[in-house]
Parts: sequence; structure tokens; C-alpha cells
Amino acid sequence: MPGIQNIFVLIKQVPDQSAKAGINPDGTIDRAKAKRMLNPFDRYALQAALHTKKNYGGKVTAISMGPPAAVEVLLEALEHGVDKCYLLSDKRLAASDTLATAYALYKVIKYIGDFDLVFCGLQTTDGDTAQVGPQIAERLHLPQVTYCEDFKIEENKIIAKRVVEGGYEWVKMQIPGLITVANSYHPLEYKTLRGARMVQHLLRNEAQRANYIKTITLDDIGADPVKCGLKGSPTIVARTDKVSEIGGSCVIHQGLPTEQMVLDLLRDTKIPEFIKS
Amino acid sequence: MPSNKIEYDFLIVGGGPSGFALAHYLVDLATKSDTKFTMAILEKGKEFGSHIVSGAVSNLRVIQKLFPDYKNTDFPMEGICNESFFSILGNKKKWDVPHFLLPDGFKKEGCAILTLSHVIYWMYNKLKEKVLNHPNIQIDFFTGFSAHQIIFNEDRITGVKVVEKSNAENPDNSVFAKVTCFGDKGFLSRDIMEKYKLRDNPQIWSIGVKEVWQLNEKKDFSGKVWHTMGFPLLDGSFGGGFVYGMKDHKLTIGMVISLDSENPNINPQQRLQDFKKHPWVQEMIKDGKMLKYGAAVLPEGGYYSLPKKFAVEGGLLLGDALGILDIERLSGIDKGMESGYQAAEVLHEGLIKNDFSENQLSKYKERLMSSFVVKELKAGRYFRSAWQENPRLLKSYLPILMDNIDRTNPCLGLLKIGLKNNPIRAILDGIRLKLLMDGYESGPVKYKFDYQNIVPNFHPDRKITLENYVKETIYSRADAVFYAKTKYHEGNMHIDEFNADVCMKCIKTYDALGKDTPCVSDCTAEVHRIDVTGGMRMHGMSLENCIQCRTCEIVCPEVNLRVRPTMEGSGPDFMGL
Repeated sequence: MPGIQNIFVLIKQVPDQSAKAGINPDGTIDRAKAKRMLNPFDRYALQAALHTKKNYGGKVTAISMGPPAAVEVLLEALEHGVDKCYLLSDKRLAASDTLATAYALYKVIKYIGDFDLVFCGLQTTDGDTAQVGPQIAERLHLPQVTYCEDFKIEENKIIAKRVVEGGYEWVKMQIPGLITVANSYHPLEYKTLRGARMVQHLLRNEAQRANYIKTITLDDIGADPVKCGLKGSPTIVARTDKVSEIGGSCVIHQGLPTEQMVLDLLRDTKIPEFIKS
Repeated sequence: MPSNKIEYDFLIVGGGPSGFALAHYLVDLATKSDTKFTMAILEKGKEFGSHIVSGAVSNLRVIQKLFPDYKNTDFPMEGICNESFFSILGNKKKWDVPHFLLPDGFKKEGCAILTLSHVIYWMYNKLKEKVLNHPNIQIDFFTGFSAHQIIFNEDRITGVKVVEKSNAENPDNSVFAKVTCFGDKGFLSRDIMEKYKLRDNPQIWSIGVKEVWQLNEKKDFSGKVWHTMGFPLLDGSFGGGFVYGMKDHKLTIGMVISLDSENPNINPQQRLQDFKKHPWVQEMIKDGKMLKYGAAVLPEGGYYSLPKKFAVEGGLLLGDALGILDIERLSGIDKGMESGYQAAEVLHEGLIKNDFSENQLSKYKERLMSSFVVKELKAGRYFRSAWQENPRLLKSYLPILMDNIDRTNPCLGLLKIGLKNNPIRAILDGIRLKLLMDGYESGPVKYKFDYQNIVPNFHPDRKITLENYVKETIYSRADAVFYAKTKYHEGNMHIDEFNADVCMKCIKTYDALGKDTPCVSDCTAEVHRIDVTGGMRMHGMSLENCIQCRTCEIVCPEVNLRVRPTMEGSGPDFMGL
């Protein structure tokens, strides 16, 4: 029986939540200005892919779509033990919504070739839609398990534990298939020494880097530019609002008898009934 | 393509001043001689510099050798010392010992005031720049990877393991090298000392705690350096405070306290708070803001704690692993760097001859012995033991002097020391102290392990009674941890407690005396605690607070604790200390 051969994992670079992100006039995020990081949800997908490799064999290929700087997250994936990376980078992809993104990534997967499993993060922290994974599965005519918290492979079938409302369910799925990994899965393990060493080697050696991280464009994968980017995105951003933080002050009552402090506290709420008493 | 075994010519354990000095100079030498080599540097912090704490006032003699042009670069410096003082603190006042009376080691004029973590980060970036696109030299930097275990092949050190639970079969978990250079503060080098029985005399340690403050913009102490004795160490512990003025209205305040104290409850972080309550320090910091807090141990044994060999088959000891800090001259950084500098020459010679035998490496010791490193250590070899052998100095003479600084004047204090004690003995004590500090030969010194000095029922004669201080400038130990920015990965367990029963017994002993156990009281970061479970008082640890100073291991009276290096870059973030 053939074991697992090829594992794909889709990862994305997102603006760092702890840093302030710039917003373009049209309401989209200015990705060039923002500090960047690997989408936190994708860390679980990456861990699921690496677990599969460790337990069932195969090679892990990480795929990302984004500006050239997204190569950073692919290098990070290599540090964690991924075998090969693809970066789809094309100006015509700018401002893609989930439909256009799913189309482009579907084309990339088709371009790379055979696979047994595709892992996706649940969602991203910049879009928060959780749509791309399922859409890719539909385009590829693949079965899918979403919100997967745990899984094992038996007799070439995936047996996966899904988080559902109020509990979980076990489902069986044939291979090949697509899994979106819930953030209750095992957190991503620390980078490996070998991975870290390889990345340093690649940073010194540009020729070698191309062997591990292949940058591709829409032309390479034969995607229809009309279906990509802003043109291929039916989503309309009607308006964006800046939410300003309303800071409250904190008052600590101490030192007085408890009753007195409670009364003081109630008076602070400025609710008329309390102020009276 | 990388081969299956992760292997280098040289492996440096610990990205500190000695390791980077070695790497820089070796790159320079190999570039000149057109020699090839590969090297890896392991650092347990998440970034180079993030586990580095130091005073730091340092002579730049080795930086000058390594980077003759450093003044024209962005070398991070907080200023050059233009005025240095040695002061004795009374409870209220301060007395500056006249400059001409000071031993040379305390005259710091011309030395640089540094933030060592920034210096290390700078050295890392310089090194990275230097070897980028270098045709012959390959250096890999591994931050967040610590060496957990030394790999021995019979009597030869062949490399280190980088994971805690080592899986011998997995080649991903080990790094091998022809020569492994250890620059750690004892986390690993203690295993080498044990295996090769390199020490007759144990290393003795002290703990340094340090805070960096942002002062009111009207206050500027840049270039000023104070070292103090006296307040708040009233219990006979050897040590003192330091205050360094830095640029941009910043101030370093710290204390170094020897762990060979009889007092089982030193509580270094709280002693530093006491130091800050002194009117003189209060005046400087009362309207300021604390920026960072950190702590680290210092090897104090000096000349008589040096190991018999500085290098063994396949391994070489640098900096603090060797223990070349000079407590008399208060200099460790330059000596650490010099050890790396000399090691680089020996390793370069080995590269050319393709000889890394112990015989070749032993030249490292010869070189260090004739360099300023051991020469200065030798000159100050009795400095530490002079205070150890005569408890009267710190326990009875110093308090009298302090009282007179407060009440009358220091000269009268010196006189009073004579009057209140046996005058002849006091004069003889003074003469002997002076002679020993000048290096008068009086035979070898034998140290005890630090914990062996602890007297469980020790009672300090005096208590600190200062009340006039700004409460906001004083921090509890738990609050101070916030300023050390500790962060740990899930499942971290880096301190071993070997036997819980031993701890319970120890707790009982100290409870009966109304004291805390040394681990609880001397911890710099609120890690050790007493848990009450089912009526039993047991030892517990909040490891997520740990700033990895290793004090608990040194002061544990039962030798029941062991601090291991952490994984995944966990621990404090000392950047800026």
C-alpha cells in the first residue's frame, strides 16, 4: 500500500497584529508598510503537515501567495523542517478576495502536481473569512475536513476529529483530501537545528535558494488573469471604519472598610440611584 | 548540500563577549592567511544579547585590537567615564574616598560605559556582515538553541546536544565540531570541570543585580562612575553597589553581593531596593522611571579558582567558563574578550597545521598566562580572600566607619575603629589588608563552596531603618520580574529538584529558625516558593519568572537544585542592560 508521498501546506504572511497596520485609501491593507509575520492559524497547519511527515512519511511542500517579501514566511517554514516551497507572486494578484485567491492557489496546486493531503490554517488574522481552504477543496473536487483538531491515517483513510458546537465528531475521509486545522491542534514546535542551518545556507547562496523556494507567476501556472486580483474579486469593500480605543481609567479603592469602599465604587458608576444613597 | 551529521570545524557555545571576540579575530586571521573554516555559534537567548547582563564599565583595550576603527562606526557606547568615585555609604550620608587613595582598579577614568547586550548585538551584526559572501568562511548563528549536554567520545569532547531529552539516534539534535569553545557561566562547563577533574579549588560566585533608570531630563550624570561599599550590606556580606551615569539621562544602578555570605537570606533584589532608598540614590532617581531589571552571577574566585587546564581534548574554556573575572579591578569583559582573542590565535595555528590535539590547544593556557589576563588576576589573587579570612573588616570595622560618616566624619571613624576594638589588632588588620591587596605573597588560598559558608541561624546585628524615600521607586521582587520581560515556552522545566524530601527537611530547618530557605530568599526573580499541600510545606517553583541567574543552584545548602539551560529562546530579555 502506498504511504503518504506529498503533503502540501498553505501558509500566508499577514501584518503583525502587535504593530500598527496601514490602511490604503480603498480600504485594503497596505502590506508593504505593515510589519509582517506568519499567520498564527497557519502555524497549526504547518505543525499538522510536519506531524504527518514524521509519522507517515512523505515530503512537505509549503505554498504561499503574496508579495516577494512573503519569502520570509517560507524561510520560516524551512527552518521548521519543510522540504520545498513555492511562492506565487504577481502584481496582477493584488487585492484578491477569497474567490480569486482560492482560484489562484488551486491553479498553483494543479501546477505543482500530485499530492495526498493539503493542510490549511483555519483562517487568517487579516481576513478572518475561513473561506479559502474550503473553496480550494471545491475547485479541486476534493473531500474536506474543516476545524480538524486531531487526526490519524489508517488504511489510506484520514480519521479526523472535528470541533463542532458543543463537542466534536470523528469523520473518515479518503485520501487525497484537504484539511483545515483548528487552533486547538498541537502548537507549532520550535525550529530545528537542521532547518535553521539550511536557511542560513540558503541566505548565503542565492543559486541554491531557487532550488528550495520557487517563485512563480500567473503565467507559469496558466491562470486566467481576469479571474485574479481585483478584477476577479466580486467582493466590494463598501467602507472601512477606524475603531478608536476608548480608554477607561482604573480606580483602586483600598484601606477603608469594605462597606464604605463598595459605596464609593457604586457612586463612581454615576448611576443616579446610587448617587442618591 | 549539508551532510547528515551536523558538523563544523569550530563550535562556540554561548554568544558572549569572549565567543564573539574569538570569532571576529579568527575570521580576520583566516582571511589574511586565506584559510578555510566553518563555525557555528549557539546562543540560548532568543537574540544575541538577550541573555547578557553586565555593569558595565570596561576598558576597551581588546575592542581596540579587534576593531581599530571602532570609534568611526556605530559601536554602541553610553559614554566615557570622566570622573570615578569610590564611596562608603553610611545610613544617610556618602563619603567619597579621596581619589589618590584609591587602588588603580577603582580609577575608571577613560574606560567606556557600555550596555553590554547592545555591544554583543553589534558584534553579532558586524560578524554577520564580515562573513557574508566570504569565499572561505562559513559561520552559522543559532539563536534559541542551547547546548544541553556535552558529547564525549572517551576523553574527547566531540560536540554538544541541543535538545533536553536527547535522542542519540536523531542526528538533528547534535552539533559536532573539531573544537568546541565554551563561554557559558557554568551551565555546561561544570560538567567539563567534573569530568576532567580540573579544579582543586571550587569556583566562588557573587550575584549582580542591576536596574536601568530613565531620569528626569534636568538630571545628567553621564560619564560619572560610582562604586560603593557599606550601606545596605550590614550583615558582613562582601559586596557593594554601583551607579553609572549614561547618556540620554539614563542611569545604571546595581549591586554585586558575594554568595559566600553567612546570611542565608541575602535577597539580592531587595538589597538593591535598600540601596535605592539611600538619600543619595533617591535624589537621583526619585522622579525617574525604571526601564529594565536583570541579574547574573559573576565568578569571583579569580586566580586560585582557575582550572588546571584551560583546554582539553576537543574543548576550550573561555571567559566566565574559565572564571577570569577580576574582582579587584572590577573588570571581566575585557578579560573575557582577551581570552577569545588568544584562543583565536591558537585555533588559527591549529587550522594551518591541521592539528587540534590537546597539545596544540594547551598553548592557549600559555598565552593567557603571559597575557594581562592572568597577570592581573595574579596581582589581585588575595583581594577576595583578604576579606574572607578576616570577618572583622566587614562585620565590625565597616559599621563603625559608616556610623561616623553619618554622625561626624570618616577620619574620626577610622580612629574609632581603633578605639572600639583592640587598637593594635586593628592596625595590624589594616596593614595585612593593604599587603594582601598589593599582592604580598602569603601562600595559596583554599576556598569553600559558597553554600558551605551559610550559617542557618545567622542574625544580622543591624536592620535598615530608612523611611524617607519615594515609594514609587521601590519594586517588589515579583514586580521587578516584569522589567526583565521573561517569556517561556510551554512545558518548560529547566530547574531540577533532585529530592523533594531533602527540600522538605531543609524547609523545616529554616522554618524553625524563622527564616526563609536560601533558594526562596536569594532568588532574584520570585521563582522559588513554599507550597503548603495537605499540611506539608514543600518546595515549589514558578519557573516562568526565572531570569536564569543560577543563584539558587549555588546557594542551595543541600546541593539539591540544578539549573539547566532553557530551550526555544525562552527566558528573560535583557536587551538594554
